[in-house]
Amino acid sequence: MTVARATTAMPSPALDLEKALLACASGDKAALRAIYDSEAAQMLGVARRFLPRSTLAEEVVHDVFVKIWRNAGAFDPARGNARAWIYTILRHHALNTLRTERRMDLTDDLEPFGLVSHEEGPEAVVMRLSETSRLRLCLNALEPKRREMIVLAYLQGLTHGELAGRFGVPLGTMKSWIRRSLAVLKDCMA
Amino acid sequence: MTGSSHNETLAAEYALGLLEGEGLAQAERLNAEDEGFSLSVAAWRARFTELDMTASPAVPGSGLWERIAASVVRGDAAAPQPVASPTQIRREGPSFLARLWASLPLWRAAGLVATAAALVLALALAAASRRGNEPVYVAVLMTDAATPAAIVNAYRDGRAELIPLEPIPVPEGKALQIWTLWDRERGPVSIGLLDRARSVPLGTERLPETRADQLFEITLEPKQGSPTGRPTGPILMKGLTHAPL
Repeated sequence: MTVARATTAMPSPALDLEKALLACASGDKAALRAIYDSEAAQMLGVARRFLPRSTLAEEVVHDVFVKIWRNAGAFDPARGNARAWIYTILRHHALNTLRTERRMDLTDDLEPFGLVSHEEGPEAVVMRLSETSRLRLCLNALEPKRREMIVLAYLQGLTHGELAGRFGVPLGTMKSWIRRSLAVLKDCMA
Repeated sequence: MTGSSHNETLAAEYALGLLEGEGLAQAERLNAEDEGFSLSVAAWRARFTELDMTASPAVPGSGLWERIAASVVRGDAAAPQPVASPTQIRREGPSFLARLWASLPLWRAAGLVATAAALVLALALAAASRRGNEPVYVAVLMTDAATPAAIVNAYRDGRAELIPLEPIPVPEGKALQIWTLWDRERGPVSIGLLDRARSVPLGTERLPETRADQLFEITLEPKQGSPTGRPTGPILMKGLTHAPL
């Protein structure tokens, strides 16, 4: 497997994902292929943030495309954009796989966090957001440690409990830090 | 903290993937039932999707699309039903399995349900229906009443699929969880969670190759799946793998 550098923060917007999803809902397999051509590499990149082992990450992408096909009829453009819909399914499935793996201790042979390269560290990831990104601006309004927690939670699918363990603070403390950070973000993004 | 700001926080935590256990269950319930909550979740997700776009793309293996295409074709019965247009009407007739399904009550009515006979016939039909892509093992899952209720086909490449043969009543708030036991030391491993009986690919690819006499079973579990990672509810059906004829 080759890994290509992301050249920009956003993938090429050549494909109208919303139209493609609606076409999938009407049984158009070419539309699914078009989504694959446009998004599969990005989706695999996201899945690998959760599941560094490439076979598992590909498995997740496989399952997600089957889900996209089956559930395209449930996509409602009025309730969220197509990209967020697709990546939500992806993240959900990757997270479930990750948690199942952890529960089954199949990840024993992996150092849980050691595989994340420097370029995937939370600060580096925030830097890769577009200069004009509102999310970037608002994340940067958080104190560095708090920003790191929020971004790590999102990137690696860490729960409150896992974050607390990672940062060596009690669970209640972590929960209230996260709550306050989310409130700051919400005000900033509004 | 007021209820609404509590829910707003919960929606954000859910969208980010921070929740587990009871909090997760509560958020999933609200997301399904509460319009305001699900809109709030969608808004948080849309904001954070930008972070997904910073991942370095990774080129998938060359066979990935072919596998997706094959799964999509296999699952067509469960796929969204396209609005019929003249060009789409040339869908294939009832599959072998559909006919098998249709014929099952007949066997029963005719008093032919000597369990062994039904099992052998189901095995033969399950194998015959997959010409060109034959399962290496087939398990017919039987209910307590010794009637075949579903088939599991396991393929050489590690894939497996579940094909229900009859509807299974699933009470509100419950789900069907599919398990396999390939190692008694480790115990049953969950390979799927369903809201209702339908044909699905099973999560066996991460497990060692399916073997003869490997147990597959379906239990009734809470909607989110067994909280313990082990079967907790009643066994609805079970069966062992056999090499098809």
